[in-house]
Amino acid sequence: MMDFRTLLVFATSVFLAFTLQRLPMPEILSWLQPAWVTMAVTILVLRAPQVFGLWLALPLGLMLDAEQGSYLGLHVLLLTLHIYLLQVMYKRVAMFNFIQQTGVVFLLVALQQLLAYWALWLLTEDSRPVDIWRPALTSALMWPWVYALVSLAMRKVRH
Amino acid sequence: MAAIAVLAMALIWLDSHAPWLQPLRNATGYLILPAQKVAAIPAAMADWFGESAAARQELQAENKKLTARNLILETKAQRLAALEAENIELRELLSASEQIDDRVLVSTLIAVDPDPYSKQILIDKGSEDGVFLGQPVLDAYGLLGQVVDVLPRSSRVLMIADSNHAIPVQVNRNGVRAIAAGTGSLAELELIYVPNTADIQPGDLLVSSGLGGRYPKGYPVARVDRVENIPGKPFASVTARPSAHLDRSRHLLLVFQQGSGQVPPETLWRKQ
Repeated sequence: MMDFRTLLVFATSVFLAFTLQRLPMPEILSWLQPAWVTMAVTILVLRAPQVFGLWLALPLGLMLDAEQGSYLGLHVLLLTLHIYLLQVMYKRVAMFNFIQQTGVVFLLVALQQLLAYWALWLLTEDSRPVDIWRPALTSALMWPWVYALVSLAMRKVRH
Repeated sequence: MAAIAVLAMALIWLDSHAPWLQPLRNATGYLILPAQKVAAIPAAMADWFGESAAARQELQAENKKLTARNLILETKAQRLAALEAENIELRELLSASEQIDDRVLVSTLIAVDPDPYSKQILIDKGSEDGVFLGQPVLDAYGLLGQVVDVLPRSSRVLMIADSNHAIPVQVNRNGVRAIAAGTGSLAELELIYVPNTADIQPGDLLVSSGLGGRYPKGYPVARVDRVENIPGKPFASVTARPSAHLDRSRHLLLVFQQGSGQVPPETLWRKQ
């Protein structure tokens, strides 16, 4: 079960991720909005896999759906797959150096975008373009910094 | 994993076929409310600084301008009352249904959708304020869009410039009807299926025709920019510039029309 400190880290990171996700960006930068919530989920699962498991997908996925106005459940599905993949390989990923981790984040976010695109294509006739590469790229580039920051914060909270 | 995935798919299926999940959407809407509010703070602060840092002279000049403008509008409004009375009288003569002024609710823009492919915005009024799906949204200059997603304290507005949006319009000058479809660019609408012989000229004001039942009649939508007749093509290519300031307005009006009801959500388009 979660102790108070873990809960604090969880609540803070989720709140920050959703705030950043919604933060208004200038027109040009809006192409480069990283997938903040996905990154937060990745960190939580990597740092404390025994606490943060697949259940995380349900509340966060629903919140993402409400936030983006998509079909309820779409992001639940995407996050479920994301967390499952992370759980399968978290031991290895936790050992990776940051360049390899960056690559993993890139692939996972790109996979999510691709699945979202397919799901939409199945659900609605009009397929609108979904940007697959750019959010994946910016997420991957942001990853080392975010990871370092959160690790630091977690170490502070632990002691 | 499989259980949650199946649950998620069931949710998606339900949400795409029936409006039953609106309570769940509302509940999760409350969860993301704090994050939305905090994300809106930088813009609000910039606004506040801009206002409080304006020079006294500027404020005086603006005040003068606004007073003058107010006077003009007041005069016009006086005439409007008379015209409206006359209009109602005439309508009564025609035994047509009475048209009463639409009730409006003022709301503020809190966020713009970060997805560059979609032209959607978030406003700070939601189901608690009586906002409903499909509700028309105006700004001070014209029609801006319609509500496509309602959360308790905020809602999502699809702007007329979105490439998935179209609105029935008519030319104010002569009543020629057309459909103005969004192009994905905020500065341009496209009139589709306009015959080459239609009497539409650059500069014509397009107003909402009220056909289709979604938008109220008679609000300005766009001004025709360019009309091109291409020989060999069945339809003329007509582009128009939206009257509403889609990329600048911060204060918007939600219209409660007479007789407009809730629109079933399945008739609405949703993004990912």
